[in-house]
Amino acid sequence: MFEGPQSFAPIIPEIILAIGAMVLLMYGAFRAPSENLGRDVGWFAILLFALTLGYLVLQPASSSFLFHDAFVVDRFARFMKVLVLVGASVALLLSFDYFARAKLMWFEIPVLMVLAVVGMMVMISSNDLITLYVGLELQSLALYVLAAIRRNDLRSSEAGLKYFVLGALSSGMLLYGMSMIYGFAGATGFQKIATAASAGDAGANIGLIIGLVFLLVGLAFKISAVPFHMWTPDVYEGAPTPVTAFFAGAPKVAAMALLVRVLVQAFPGNVSEWQQIIVFLSIMSMLIGAFAAIGQTNIKRLMAYSSIGHIGFALVGLASGSNDGLEAVVIYLAIYMVMTLGAFACILAMRRKDGMVESIDQLAGLSQSNLSMAFLFAMLLFSMAGIPPLAGFFAKFYVFAAAVKAELYPLAVIGVIASVVAAFYYLRIIKVMFFDEASEPFQPAEPYVRFVMWAAGVFVLAYVVVPAPLIDAASAAVRSLRFAPTP
Amino acid sequence: MSLMPLFFYLFSVLALASAVLVIVAKNPVHSVMFLIFAFFNAAGLFILLGAEFLAMVLVIVYVGAVAVLFLFVVMMLDVDFAELKSGFVKNAPVGLLVGGIVLAELALLFLAQDLGVSGQSVEAVADGIAAATAPVLPGEGLTGGAPVAGEVLTNTEALGRILYTKYAFFFEVAGLVLLVAMIGAIVLTLRHKDGVRRQSIAEQVARDPKTSLEVIKVAPGGAVIPTGDDAP
Amino acid sequence: MIFKAIVFLPLLGALIAGLFGRVIGARPSEIVTTGLLLFAAVLSWIVFSRVGFDHEVARIPVLRWITSGELDAGWVLRIDTLTAVMLVVVTTVSSLVHVYSIGYMHDDDSRPRFFAYLSLFTFAMLMLVTSDNLLQMFFGWEGVGLASYLLIGFWYKKPEANAAAIKAFVVNRVGDFGFALGIFGIFYVFKTINFDAIFTLALDVAKPDHADHTIQFLGGTFNTLTVLCLLLFMGAMGKSAQFLLHTWLPDAMEGPTPVSALIHAATMVTAGVFMVARLGPLFDLAPTALQVVTFVGALTAFFAATVGLVQNDIKRVIAYSTCSQLGYMFVACGIGAYGVAIFHLFTHAFFKALLFLGAGSVIHAMHHEQDMRNMGGLAPKIRFTWVMMLIGTLALTGVGIPHLIGFAGFHSKDAIIESAFVAHTAYNYAFWVLVIAAFMTSFYSWRLMFMTFHGNTRAAPDVYKHAHESPSVMLVPLAVLALGAVGAGVAFAHYFIGNGAEAFWGAVFEGSPDSAGDAHGAAHDFPEWVAWSPAVAMLLGFALAWLFYVRNPSLPDATARAFPSVYKFLLNKWYFDELYDWLFVRPAHWLGRVLWRIGDGRIIDGLIDGTAATVGWVTGRIVKLQTGYIYHYAFAMLIGVALLITYFMLGGGLSR
Repeated sequence: MFEGPQSFAPIIPEIILAIGAMVLLMYGAFRAPSENLGRDVGWFAILLFALTLGYLVLQPASSSFLFHDAFVVDRFARFMKVLVLVGASVALLLSFDYFARAKLMWFEIPVLMVLAVVGMMVMISSNDLITLYVGLELQSLALYVLAAIRRNDLRSSEAGLKYFVLGALSSGMLLYGMSMIYGFAGATGFQKIATAASAGDAGANIGLIIGLVFLLVGLAFKISAVPFHMWTPDVYEGAPTPVTAFFAGAPKVAAMALLVRVLVQAFPGNVSEWQQIIVFLSIMSMLIGAFAAIGQTNIKRLMAYSSIGHIGFALVGLASGSNDGLEAVVIYLAIYMVMTLGAFACILAMRRKDGMVESIDQLAGLSQSNLSMAFLFAMLLFSMAGIPPLAGFFAKFYVFAAAVKAELYPLAVIGVIASVVAAFYYLRIIKVMFFDEASEPFQPAEPYVRFVMWAAGVFVLAYVVVPAPLIDAASAAVRSLRFAPTP
Repeated sequence: MSLMPLFFYLFSVLALASAVLVIVAKNPVHSVMFLIFAFFNAAGLFILLGAEFLAMVLVIVYVGAVAVLFLFVVMMLDVDFAELKSGFVKNAPVGLLVGGIVLAELALLFLAQDLGVSGQSVEAVADGIAAATAPVLPGEGLTGGAPVAGEVLTNTEALGRILYTKYAFFFEVAGLVLLVAMIGAIVLTLRHKDGVRRQSIAEQVARDPKTSLEVIKVAPGGAVIPTGDDAP
Repeated sequence: MIFKAIVFLPLLGALIAGLFGRVIGARPSEIVTTGLLLFAAVLSWIVFSRVGFDHEVARIPVLRWITSGELDAGWVLRIDTLTAVMLVVVTTVSSLVHVYSIGYMHDDDSRPRFFAYLSLFTFAMLMLVTSDNLLQMFFGWEGVGLASYLLIGFWYKKPEANAAAIKAFVVNRVGDFGFALGIFGIFYVFKTINFDAIFTLALDVAKPDHADHTIQFLGGTFNTLTVLCLLLFMGAMGKSAQFLLHTWLPDAMEGPTPVSALIHAATMVTAGVFMVARLGPLFDLAPTALQVVTFVGALTAFFAATVGLVQNDIKRVIAYSTCSQLGYMFVACGIGAYGVAIFHLFTHAFFKALLFLGAGSVIHAMHHEQDMRNMGGLAPKIRFTWVMMLIGTLALTGVGIPHLIGFAGFHSKDAIIESAFVAHTAYNYAFWVLVIAAFMTSFYSWRLMFMTFHGNTRAAPDVYKHAHESPSVMLVPLAVLALGAVGAGVAFAHYFIGNGAEAFWGAVFEGSPDSAGDAHGAAHDFPEWVAWSPAVAMLLGFALAWLFYVRNPSLPDATARAFPSVYKFLLNKWYFDELYDWLFVRPAHWLGRVLWRIGDGRIIDGLIDGTAATVGWVTGRIVKLQTGYIYHYAFAMLIGVALLITYFMLGGGLSR
């Protein structure tokens, strides 16, 4: 009969966040408006994230299924949720001073972020097409609003609108694919789809595959894989910088986790088919991400192409389809998120007396005015370029090693070429920072921004010495994904 | 031979035709009207399938709220649709090509399938669907009223039985989606501008004669001098 | 402990100077880094004697690194004779360059940074030479590349220095690409990247009936080991500036001269030779690859020497000379005489560093004038530098009496030439090419001497008047290196290539059928004229240079006028820079621009007010789809979907 309260234990993190968001909303709406309201709510939100994170870490290692198998919590889900929570907390931390200066620190921003995180966590835990969809929409809707949050700024409004319209299109395709899958498999649960897919005749199989294509298109939009990436540069540039930092981290991780889960758990028997789609997306993303970034002058646009490229590299691991490959994806995402957040902290520190600057030229001669920031930024960029012994090198190394092992040689070769090309534009920024004529120094960075910068720098540097915790956690996560007991 | 197939084809053809007209109509108001008409036809198709609840929801929500809102927006905004449409002809060939390819492929896909319904009458399909929805319920953790064997549930009843039990989780998350939509709408549009007079119901209700009435004895031949914020 | 100390003392110095350089000031930074390196150099010589003469071989684990699936790589210091020789070369030259730089960089404001980079480079190089597996070697490889990039671009206010730094980095990526592919390939074939395990397994793979004997690569079937070795050699070609990938080395001369001496003469550029020698047992199983190594080496030795004949920048002449000498070393590797190659590497480090530092002293004296056409007659002004350069030239050109005694270069270079003869390449081409190159080496070296130090001065009068000898902190390192240039050959020939070689090298090149000792042992069986031919070539070169630049200084111009096309061809370095510019640089820029336009169009344009859109009308309809309008983006998505579906519907992607 009705499931007892103890069986809700695995979903308590989502419950904490959802109820917390509503409480914060009430608090914000009924407290007298004041300067500090937004910041107070923001800190409460970070506290909520921390609580949730603690609960997740302390949960037992077993896998559990809830709501008639619509919702699964395993080690993979927990690992990814921890990543998402860290990404969201850091992005929120970075946003305080920015929004305070812009007189925009509304209490709705943290509330929307919390709700977006609930959506991401639902996505990560989804074990049913409907769960997938509601989670995705919850997350996306909150993100659309966040992109447009500077409503008096034309670029921000436009970013939100573009993101919304294209997102609706992608959701349409996603739903279409889902309905086809349901039509041909007769079920929405991942395990049942897997059973149907392996038992189905050739005719039904092609139907399922076409459904899967639509589904993948919808997800590819969320991770901004080429050719479904075109919103990314515009939205990254138009949205307020801390929001962009948020976009580049947590949602990508969540969507990627969802992609992994759908492919591995709902279509384990169709590896050879979806592998080809992933290879296509991966190659396109790596190449476009690398080449298109060369001409950029705006650092946020450049980061957009950089993230497109990084997703391409992460997809290399997924394409291999092996446990090694999935492990590489998980590690790649973790390292990518840290590097990206660190880089955005640096971008947020690009501030002159008369406001933020976003052009790469403005970094000229940074090494002379602010050596420590130039050094940290350079290190993060080197890491993104995949230069050893920084963390980014290992991330790339793992995915390429997995691809080679899966005998996807062309993919690995193209990946290496793309990373060489990509190194070029990262290097250009470093060159500007270190070798160009110095321009006016930046305003001193705020403490939170500096903290994030340093933390990310230490991570990419220290990874070479202590890689074991991340590798172990990733491999445990992937194993839970593979051997999830069929309920 | 019943009327069912006749209605099926009627609704389908009308729905498709009005969908095309939504796109090609010159006048945007006409477009919205055709959209509403397409919704009505879709609702008709739902009824044929025995899904009367979905049909009603479609009419109430989409026709009654969404499309009417569209109509307001179209009429209120001064958008030059002729200019917007200027790109239409230019891009139409490419669009038609891509759309045509996808359509052809999907048609091929569905035609090649044995969906298990070929040769069945529409009534049979409808019965099949009704039968498929009903047995989902029993023993799945209902709080009460396990259906008696052989009991035929209406679509509304069937939805009601699973929506708050088996699908409670989806329902809750969907609620959160609506909450986000509400927050978003308010955050992006609500503006407190100075100098704009707003209606405050609380203030209106709190009025009483003492604060709103002033009895002035007007001296013969004298003038009334307004006081306080009741000044015009 | 002593091994770890050698490797990590430079890192310590780099960290102190790099992080606290501003706090503690320039002078203490110099003293700390230089002191630590001198200490490391002393330790290296101790290690050298212990390993080379007492045969102490060791593996010192430092860190467990990567354990991912089958990949198990640790950070282990591999100590054997080869490593010990490299340790001595690297730390000795590096410490002397540190000392020299104290004087040379005296006027520079960012000395702590410079010394930090120098020490960082040294650390990376030490990591490279102590590597026990390919990944570790790759780390060192990239580390020296990075340090070299930083040092070439040290004077970042010079645009040429920036361009040179980026050029060095990019060209090296081409080589590194091959190297990385080679490492992947090795891991794929052998499932390990540790040297010893690879050598053992390679013996099996070399057998024709082994499953992995051949490999599918680029659509063809090839011998596995040949493919792997060639890929690895591509990395060596990049780092050691061999033919086709040599273009960065001359440009790298834009960096400070001590950097040229350390990185671009004595250490980093020899990393390629070291790698081939280290992987000798693997290369020996791939004869085809070795033939390629020989050919590329000989070609580079010849090509670089021809270009060196006509260059006017004093440092570029020496840079091309370095390129050419590296070619010699590869020839030695290619014919399996690894010991001889490493011996030349060893002696070359001394006299080439001496020449570079001497050139630095000249440049210092001439107030940063590098063009030899504006020099001449400097010998009386800077007597000590002249003597040092003379010793360097004598060593480079290989002055000595066959079978008896000579300068350092005589012992090592002539050994290579003789080995080349014994190796019997087709038509003996390696031998003849090297002899001709020796002739040209002699010519351009003496040309450099004569143009710089002799004849009437062509310098501006006030510059000439103020030309002065460098401070003693710069001269002492020169003297020490000169000692090596004179004596290194005599002192060590017995151990490196003579009768003591077998005991000295031990099992380093084991697995190779004709390892160092044998090659030169056999090298005694050659006609007498072979031993004399390099000496004759050297004397001819000297005589010709004397004729051209002392006896009749109008001859060079006359010759250049007589053969204008040849002269221009050489002066423009066989037009390689122009060729690469046309072949790679411009298309890359073009591609970047085009893709940027296609992918981006223009910064955000209005959804409704999109009239400001559309800049990138390049060509055709597809471009029109991608301009910033939202429906163009949607179109792109739909086309993507259509492509994917069509692909599957046509059955291309279905497995069943």
